[in-house]
Amino acid sequence: MHTAKETQRRFQDGEISAQDIIKVCLERIEQQDGKVGAFLSLAKERAYKRAVELDKKRKEGKPLGKLAGVPIAIKDNIHIEGELTTCASKFLTNYRAPFSATVVESLEKEDALIVGKTNLDEFAMGSSTETSAFKLTKNPWDLACTPGGSSGGSAAAVAARFVPIAFGSDTGGSIRQPASLTGVVGFKPSYGRVSRYGLVAFGSSLDQIGPFATRVEDVALTMNVVAHHCHKDSTSVTKAPEDYAALLGSPFRGCKIGVPWNFMADLAGDAKDNFLASLEILKKLHCEIVDVDLEILKTSIAVYYILATAEASTNLARFDGIRYGARSLKAKTLDEVYDLSKQEGFGPEVKNRILLGTYVLSSGYQDAYYRHAQKVRTLIIRQFAEAFKQCTAIAMPVSPFPAFPLGSIQDPLQMYLQDIYTIAANLAGLPAISVPSGFNQEGKPWGLQLLGPQLQDGNVLHIAHAFEQVTQYSHQLPPLFAS
Amino acid sequence: MNNSTWEPVIGLEIHVQLKTRSKLFSTAPNRFGDEPNINIGVVCTGQPGSLPVLNKEAVKKAVQFGCAIGAKVEKFSKFDRKSYFYPDSPRNFQITQYDQPIIIGGSVQAVVNGEIKNFSVHRAHIEDDSGMLKHFTGFAGVDYNRAGVPLIEVVSEPCMHSPKDAVAYATAIKSIMEYLDASDCNMDEGSLRFDCNISVRKRGETKLRNKIEIKNMNSFHNMEMALEAEIARQIAIYEKDPHAEIIKGTFRFDLEKKETVMMRLKEEADDYRYFPEPDLPPLVLSDEYIEAIRNSLPELPLQRLHRYMETLHLSDYAANLLILDKELCHYFEEGLAHCSNARNLCNWITVEFVGRLKEQGKTPMSAGIAARHIAELVELIEKGTITGKIAKLVADDMVATIGTSPTEIVQKNPDYQPVSDQGTIEALVDAVLESNPQSIADFKSGKTKAYAFLIGQIMKLCKGKADPAVVNKILTQKLQ
Repeated sequence: MHTAKETQRRFQDGEISAQDIIKVCLERIEQQDGKVGAFLSLAKERAYKRAVELDKKRKEGKPLGKLAGVPIAIKDNIHIEGELTTCASKFLTNYRAPFSATVVESLEKEDALIVGKTNLDEFAMGSSTETSAFKLTKNPWDLACTPGGSSGGSAAAVAARFVPIAFGSDTGGSIRQPASLTGVVGFKPSYGRVSRYGLVAFGSSLDQIGPFATRVEDVALTMNVVAHHCHKDSTSVTKAPEDYAALLGSPFRGCKIGVPWNFMADLAGDAKDNFLASLEILKKLHCEIVDVDLEILKTSIAVYYILATAEASTNLARFDGIRYGARSLKAKTLDEVYDLSKQEGFGPEVKNRILLGTYVLSSGYQDAYYRHAQKVRTLIIRQFAEAFKQCTAIAMPVSPFPAFPLGSIQDPLQMYLQDIYTIAANLAGLPAISVPSGFNQEGKPWGLQLLGPQLQDGNVLHIAHAFEQVTQYSHQLPPLFAS
Repeated sequence: MNNSTWEPVIGLEIHVQLKTRSKLFSTAPNRFGDEPNINIGVVCTGQPGSLPVLNKEAVKKAVQFGCAIGAKVEKFSKFDRKSYFYPDSPRNFQITQYDQPIIIGGSVQAVVNGEIKNFSVHRAHIEDDSGMLKHFTGFAGVDYNRAGVPLIEVVSEPCMHSPKDAVAYATAIKSIMEYLDASDCNMDEGSLRFDCNISVRKRGETKLRNKIEIKNMNSFHNMEMALEAEIARQIAIYEKDPHAEIIKGTFRFDLEKKETVMMRLKEEADDYRYFPEPDLPPLVLSDEYIEAIRNSLPELPLQRLHRYMETLHLSDYAANLLILDKELCHYFEEGLAHCSNARNLCNWITVEFVGRLKEQGKTPMSAGIAARHIAELVELIEKGTITGKIAKLVADDMVATIGTSPTEIVQKNPDYQPVSDQGTIEALVDAVLESNPQSIADFKSGKTKAYAFLIGQIMKLCKGKADPAVVNKILTQKLQ
């Protein structure tokens, strides 16, 4: 499969028609996704209809969009008008989106071809895509392992080379961790850089939509399309976006990279070795590695699970069986509609988080939990600002472990630890990327995480691009899908 | 029951629907009276993936209100989620302002029993309205047309001490909202709703005793009756047992029984789990923005009241009558532009014309009588073109033939033509004097009443058409 940039060029130059691109793409998915389980639904009709229009557009010599002919997959918590948005929850099994997310509109405006919706942890709550009510998604590098989560379907779809670009959402690492575990590039933009309109909210102050790709260059190309102000999202930033693709064209001359060793004292084994190796590569790129103090990030999991669940408990309150979604057939009274619809519609992890969020907001506990966590969040933001006085970007691992076997983590708290290195970027609203950084002895991928100051998305992409240029780990394909 | 030893303490929460084109957080229309679930969008039905965007027009109206009551308009306020489950709440949380509202403090003045009283406002905040549950046989439905309509909730201090105070305060808030054109304030349509908090205590006590809340009274009259009934109920409880405690709860007013009825107990505060709305950044207003609104406020009811009483010399009663009826007041202002005698104009509008149309259930405005025509009628009297007596006949004709100007009516009807010809009037005077010799004698012996009697006879003879000034002049001459 070709990259997004190459696909766009081939289509534009008339080497292939949009209909053929879609045909090949959908055939590949239909033949091979049985092994992976990346997709929950395919938007075949929509894709072919748009492909026909696009071929016509090209034939008529009209200008073609930046993503013309590029097949794209969308995580199933982002709306495409008229298509299902299930959030991998039984509750929304039959919910058709009444409107398209701003990202979807932006992509289609630039002639991208959306091919389907990908699997996720139910309502994006999880780190392995195992809490999906519908299916398991497997890691294309090792089908016995999870692809990570919550955007596991999107990560796997790109890793298996079903699509060159897929979109995910990242509330605490849900793009970066699966990108790392599946050996692809995953980018969480600055909070507010990409519109959240049409993304089913989990933790509104942490959620961010972002792309997966096989190359940093494709991420930059995609960001040029989806990063802009959106008046339908009040938290969208008004500042004009950078030209990310152009930025990658300029030579990288090195910069200061901060490493928060006091926060990562527990990092050990293969994960540490891979991270140290990555730092050596950065040094070769003329980067100076400096130690920065981010010890406060030791609190980030606690802070995150208070704030994210507090917001989630209210965001998910609308799923009550009254207006849409699954209403329990057993319910006879209003209270039963509420109780039984949620009981039947939500899985255990979602229930856990709603209960936790409701608890931390309750009067009598709010000061101890929610308000306290908000204060620590402010301190984390400040500590990052201090750290960025000493460096252009911060480097960390993405995940303390490579892809783990399906079903191997049963304790939710152990699962939460997956996000130890990724949560901080969400709490502080920072741009952060996972870029492939090598493989362990079993051939499972590792990822390097790079974080920048808010709205310095371009710099993060630039460094990641330089890293990718010299390592070329992202050029390697999972053996099962190499054909 | 001894009323003078007991002091009621009343606080009001008034919900006012703001008149805006669209809803508080979406582009769905803000319109009353349509078929159910017509004026709805993805935000007001709480669709997943939808996001709120604050309506600037609603903010402006709230700021206008803040300026109008002399409150502090906060440059930094924020929105919060208030969680509760009910089918009319599309997200199962309301977006409101919990601990940092847009308006703090302020006061309104109102006349109670002829005395101007000052009532303090505690705070006012912006929030969105819920939908409405409709009950049918065997099932219920929800109409989300109202969901998301912008509300401003005005919370008073517990500063009222009688039902009349409460009505005067609520009326003052209503007329300010109307003068700002911030709301229709239509109680029948629910665009103005009040909840009363009430307790009573011994006069002189400084602590507040347990209060109860009365919800959903849809007229000032009902509110007054409800408060009176509740005050009597609480006093009776305390008089029966001085150590009694009023049970906290939420009540409604039963119109038939004329008593307050408890709906539910308030054992402890409801837990609404307030926390900052993450989908909306804090509302930050600049000094320039607030000052520009402050400087462009329209004339407010109290200012207008002062102008009517001090500059136009209207009576206290007449001035208040106009102020409290925005439409009539606007009508009066229209006429005032064409008339030099404000007192007479006010009388002609509020007594003569309102009176003439009352039976038909109309007002001068709804009947389509132009305010400037009434002004013209007053001017005709002022200039001596017609007498007051003729003017009443002209007014009858104006009501009967809507749209005709009084000048036209007078011109077309010879009976309304004034008689000012010296010779004609002299003949009238002579005729009256001839048939009333006793009155002449009485006048000459100092009985002034006789003079008035003679004038009356002359006017009767000429059917009120003679110019009173000319009649006076000639009669005086003849009697000397």
